[in-house]
Amino acid sequence: MAQQAPQVQRPTVSGVRGPHMDPSEVSGRWPFYWTRAIYSGFGRRGWGGGASWRTDYPKGDRQFLFVLKRLVRLDAYDWENAISLSDPLLRRFPVVYMVEPGYMDMTDAEVAGLRRFLDAGGFLIVDDFWGLREWNVFEYNMRRVYPDKAIVDIALDHQIYSAYYDIDEVKQVPAIGFWRRGSTAECWGCEPEVKGMYDDEGRLMVIINFNTDLGDAWEWAEDPSYPLEYSTYAYEMGANMIVYAMSH
Amino acid sequence: MMERIFEFFFKYRPLVFEQGEFTFAAPGTVRLWLIAAGLVGAAAVASYTIARAKSTPLDRGIMAGLRVALFALLVFCLLQPALMLSTVVPQQNFVGVLIDDSRSMLLPDESGIPRTSFLQDAFTPGESELITALSDRFVLRFFRFSDVASRIDSPRDLTFDGTHTDLGAALDAAREELAGVPLSGLILITDGAHNSARPLTEALVPLQAAGVPVFTVGLGEDVISPDIEMGRVEMPRSVLEGSALVVDVVVTQVGLGRRTVPIIVEDDLKILAEETIDLGPDGEPVVARISLKLEGEGPRRIHFRIPLQSGERVEQNNARTVQIEVRGEREKILYLEGEPRFELKFMRRAVADDESIQLVILQRTAEGKFLRLEISDSTELQFGFPASREELYHYRSLIIGSVEASFFAHDQLQMIADFVSERGGGLLMLGGRSSFAEGGWAGTPVEEVMPVVLGEPAGGEEGFFAEIVVSPTPAGLAHAAVQLGEGSEGVSERWDSLPPVTIVNPISEVRPGATTLLTGTSPDLPDDQIVLAFQRYGRGKSIAMTVQDSWLWQMIPPLEDQSHETFWKQVLRWLIDGVPESVEVVMDKEQVEPGESVRIIATVGDSTYIEVNDADVTARITSPSGLIEELPVDWTVGRDGEYVVEFRPSELGEYEIEIIAERDGNTLGSARTYLHTAASDEEYFGANRHTQTLRRIADETGGQFYTPDDIGTLPDDIRITGAGVTLVEQLPLWDMPFLFFLMLALMGAEWGFRRLRGLV
Repeated sequence: MAQQAPQVQRPTVSGVRGPHMDPSEVSGRWPFYWTRAIYSGFGRRGWGGGASWRTDYPKGDRQFLFVLKRLVRLDAYDWENAISLSDPLLRRFPVVYMVEPGYMDMTDAEVAGLRRFLDAGGFLIVDDFWGLREWNVFEYNMRRVYPDKAIVDIALDHQIYSAYYDIDEVKQVPAIGFWRRGSTAECWGCEPEVKGMYDDEGRLMVIINFNTDLGDAWEWAEDPSYPLEYSTYAYEMGANMIVYAMSH
Repeated sequence: MMERIFEFFFKYRPLVFEQGEFTFAAPGTVRLWLIAAGLVGAAAVASYTIARAKSTPLDRGIMAGLRVALFALLVFCLLQPALMLSTVVPQQNFVGVLIDDSRSMLLPDESGIPRTSFLQDAFTPGESELITALSDRFVLRFFRFSDVASRIDSPRDLTFDGTHTDLGAALDAAREELAGVPLSGLILITDGAHNSARPLTEALVPLQAAGVPVFTVGLGEDVISPDIEMGRVEMPRSVLEGSALVVDVVVTQVGLGRRTVPIIVEDDLKILAEETIDLGPDGEPVVARISLKLEGEGPRRIHFRIPLQSGERVEQNNARTVQIEVRGEREKILYLEGEPRFELKFMRRAVADDESIQLVILQRTAEGKFLRLEISDSTELQFGFPASREELYHYRSLIIGSVEASFFAHDQLQMIADFVSERGGGLLMLGGRSSFAEGGWAGTPVEEVMPVVLGEPAGGEEGFFAEIVVSPTPAGLAHAAVQLGEGSEGVSERWDSLPPVTIVNPISEVRPGATTLLTGTSPDLPDDQIVLAFQRYGRGKSIAMTVQDSWLWQMIPPLEDQSHETFWKQVLRWLIDGVPESVEVVMDKEQVEPGESVRIIATVGDSTYIEVNDADVTARITSPSGLIEELPVDWTVGRDGEYVVEFRPSELGEYEIEIIAERDGNTLGSARTYLHTAASDEEYFGANRHTQTLRRIADETGGQFYTPDDIGTLPDDIRITGAGVTLVEQLPLWDMPFLFFLMLALMGAEWGFRRLRGLV
């Protein structure tokens, strides 16, 4: 189903927790909302205010949706949808995307909200954090959510690599700025990894794209300077994660 | 009493007048003389009117009239009125005496005397007047009957241990046995409880044709009071392991008043459920709904019982045992989804731990591209949705998500309709932007199958959208699929506690015959929306679930709330429940006693469920002790694909019966069932006297109905009304006391009149 790109600007609605869905829009009208997690953090690269969740927002989200709807038969809401992890409405959107968790510092309410979301059957996609320091921050925060659950590698024979496209290699997707400086990695010797967390029934509930930046590829895919190889991989991986999360 | 008074005045019983033909026995010449004398006499009497004296013309007319009437009565008597009656020739005819030999004959009446005591009093040869009177007139042949009938030498041979009563079989057996002899009639002595599935009419028609009257003798009381009877238990014959069951138990009381009693449900090991039931007024059945779950694969016997109440007359009819097979196999359901949707994810999640369900997923992810999940091998659904009946009929049920009708070829749409009507599969359509009318399903062959009425597709750019609160209908409250907790209590409250969901298909009407189990309400909508409805269609059933995001029932409520899982497990189990295989087997009785016959009925179809009449069908029967017997099962000819064999178990316990159907050396399929042989209490249900049934048998064959109180006239009645070798007998009527009293009355009236008028 070919989808038209939105021709009008979406009304901006902001509150103390950040932007959220247009109040005139009723959640549930669309079968799918590409939803971004708003979490508390300690700022990054001069953004201040602990807004690392905003990385690539909203352009990356809109562009991802626009392309995704061309690739996958998905009846999706055309706009971004950011929501706080502590908002009870979070559970109306069973797939949530989280970026730059290397700068996160969740409140207790956000920890509880995320755990409640995942326990109920939600699926979390984590992206765009690099190196050991950021990993430690992310792991610390996830330990607050699940003290005992292991974070394990997702091998290439996992169904998530074949849910829509057949992916046989995990690629390191660079941020556009680093690519222009001639590197795919944002840290020395970083290798891309895909990890996950499983629930007690063995169901994958968190997929972690570490040492890679799928979001930047989605955001800059139309830029001729951004390599097609990485944007293609990023969209393929994105499509696979969405199809998998909506069927498993 | 009336009959005795009648006989006193008219010399004979009314039956004689019914059967006889009136005539005058005086010879022709005598008749002429009498008529002449009558005329002369009348003229003489008429002369009375001439005499005047003190009388008025009215007085003379009345007196002349009375005298003429007296004279006419005398002439009537001299003409020798008589009844011409055809009576059977003594000792030239046979009478079959059929005596109920079943257990219900041992039931005592209110004063503790069993029904058999009447037999001892009235039918003991050499000791009873009745049997002597019958023996004087007829050659008697005795039969015993329960489920089958057989000859006995004397009523002394009765044992009263029959477990079923088949009146039709008894009448058939006696008629056939006595077919070669002059038969005056059959005497049927029973309580009339006919607990065979065979219609009684089948046995009465040949008797009517042969002109053999049946004289029925009804034993027992019309109403047994006080008593509770568990009339029937309605439970499926097989169920998937762990499925929620709602069982209907019908209970009737007489003479105990409207009290509350417990119903205890147990298997051989433990109590499964206990419910209370408020009994209705005398003779009015009430239904108790009991929810239970059965674990453990294999045949199970479930016992339902009501404890004996103080003063109850019959204990055995307080309990029922029902056989059920708990199936442990995985049943395949094909779920076709038109796009990635959370509904699919959460439905999979809900039934993931249900080992009875294999939910095979075919999800369209792009045009011509599908995601297949839970497939058995790499070739399954490799070309998308099945294109042949054989491939589709492989599944027991089909779920269609948000898929537009134009996705399918016309043949596939017809195939989906046939999947329900011919294969007997279950079809579930889910709400969505491409479902129902919005998906263009109106006007397709599948529309007919759906339980809901499809209107015009919702218009506008954004289409229809409403948030609704779902609640069960009265039918839903009693339906196993929408029970969210243990037991039927609190079902409404559980539904009320669930968050609202949304619909994009405005549906507010079901088809005639469909049942709505869940409805949705919204302050923005004028009508209740249909949420869950179903109907039987052909051999199968179709269900419409119009909600597009029931997964909210999983994501929003507290984690410990299992409503979403429970709902979908129950709905999917209901969807596959009762879906037939191509080869099926049932028996005409659930439980028999050793030696009692049972019919094994197999239905055989090919892989497209078309009935097969030329199959080689074998019943492999394994007895409780492990003996294996193979019986050929023959096509009945009367019905396509139906094969029947009769089997008579000899051991107590559980028989396993496997039906194997082959054609041209290829296996068409097999089916398995179980037969339990044990002592039966069937005779104690409906054990009152069935007077209506017995009157009907007598009326339709030209016989009479008797009770032990009025059986004395039976020998004479058979003599008069019976068939066989007969002679014509003339019964004089001139000496009827009635005529004498009439004469006296006429004479007295004239004398009294004269005295009254002073004419003496």
